Amino acid sequence: MTVLGIESSCDETSVAVLKDDLVLANLISSQDFHINFGGVVPELSSRAHIQIITTLVKNALAKANCTLDEIDAIGATAGPGLIGALLVGYTFARGLAFAKKKKFVPVNHIEGHIFSGFLSEDKPTFPLLVLAVSGGHTLLLIAKSFTEIIKLGSTIDDAAGEAFDKVAKMVGLGYPGGPKIQAAAEKGDKMKIPFPIADLKGKYDFSFSGLKTSVLRYVQSAFGRPQNSPIPEADLNDIAASFQYAVVKALLKKCELALKEFEISSMSLVGGVAANQELRKAFLQLGEKYKKKVVIPKLEYCGDNAAMIAFRAQSLINAGESFSLETDAFPNFSSKYFINSTL
Amino acid sequence: MVFPFVQNIFSEEETANLAKEFSSLLQKGDCISLVGNLGSGKTFFTKVLCKEFMIDDANSPTFALLNVYVGKEKFFHFDFYRVRSQQELLDIGIYDYLNDEEAITIIEWADLYPAVLPKNRYEITIVIKDDFSRTFRIEKL
Repeated sequence: MTVLGIESSCDETSVAVLKDDLVLANLISSQDFHINFGGVVPELSSRAHIQIITTLVKNALAKANCTLDEIDAIGATAGPGLIGALLVGYTFARGLAFAKKKKFVPVNHIEGHIFSGFLSEDKPTFPLLVLAVSGGHTLLLIAKSFTEIIKLGSTIDDAAGEAFDKVAKMVGLGYPGGPKIQAAAEKGDKMKIPFPIADLKGKYDFSFSGLKTSVLRYVQSAFGRPQNSPIPEADLNDIAASFQYAVVKALLKKCELALKEFEISSMSLVGGVAANQELRKAFLQLGEKYKKKVVIPKLEYCGDNAAMIAFRAQSLINAGESFSLETDAFPNFSSKYFINSTL
Repeated sequence: MVFPFVQNIFSEEETANLAKEFSSLLQKGDCISLVGNLGSGKTFFTKVLCKEFMIDDANSPTFALLNVYVGKEKFFHFDFYRVRSQQELLDIGIYDYLNDEEAITIIEWADLYPAVLPKNRYEITIVIKDDFSRTFRIEKL
């Protein structure tokens, strides 16, 4: 089966061609936009999506060495996301499916991330424990199959990736927060400052807002207001290392709880924050400790991308699901495959 | 509550109480602009406020730019922190949301793009002080 995937839920426009288990093309606007547009950085808007979607589809098909006639199905992100952005990719996909009489699959963006580990050569096995961490999401869940997902917990305030960005800004490390904190942390002492880990009512929920505030409190009491004078580099490195350690510990603590409580066959770390080396290392170690297979997708499948959307569409078709062209995109598009909660 | 309303706040509990008290004033079509530095409690204030309207899943919209909640009232929860230009806000359709008379709009980091804000709104400014207490100032503009 050959599936065309289209994603435009937020900043990125992305188009992919997936043939069975093989990604033939996975173009992402922020990385591949220069191909035809001379290196202009895309802006965060529906207009930017509109400007590049046609080109991206053409280029993806060309790269996959495939024509529209050879496509069996089209999957597009229906939400959650910004409605203006979503509608561009989704309406384009729906129109194409209607005109070319293709199977059409509305895909939940989060489900795309959840199963992105299946784009790796070594596939996850069910029941699969998934930690999904990005700028916008922090989720822990168990997929029992492609159509049964149990949500264990999520962040009650800031996402993990957001905490990295905001703490980096707060201490003067700048943007993008993830890589900057990671680089500084490598030179610092992670045991220097015992930042707290939130204890929450929901056993599997996360909170990073309190951690952000305690970094602010630490910085303010140790160095005065952060905007007044730069923090000495050695201290900055210790703060970055201690903060990163606290985030990783908070995430892994809930994973370990889940490994103890539920029957799990394999574990997967997905989403943009999966790029963090400290988190990857800790996640792999946890898998080793509990003798579970660990799958972390390649970096290009960690951020927002259409390959994961195409795969999700394919997995739903293979599961015997079918969808109406009438389904609308929706900012809070929920998932019917979550068996214990709405998403 | 008499405006401008000013209160010094020393705990999360006091922030929560203020958010609850303030929430009782809100009506469909209202807009609240929130101004304050990182870690000042804008999202926390919004969470408690939304809870009063039977919304349990309010969280930070920094990455998503906009969260939509439906409880006893419909809420648009914006965050301008990551927005790079006013044009982006226009592209997102900011005025479609602000002009929705059926919804209440809350905007974090509203001071980044003051030109798009409605003239009639509540503006809440939070200042973190050296002893880490906060001053909340609520104005009715």
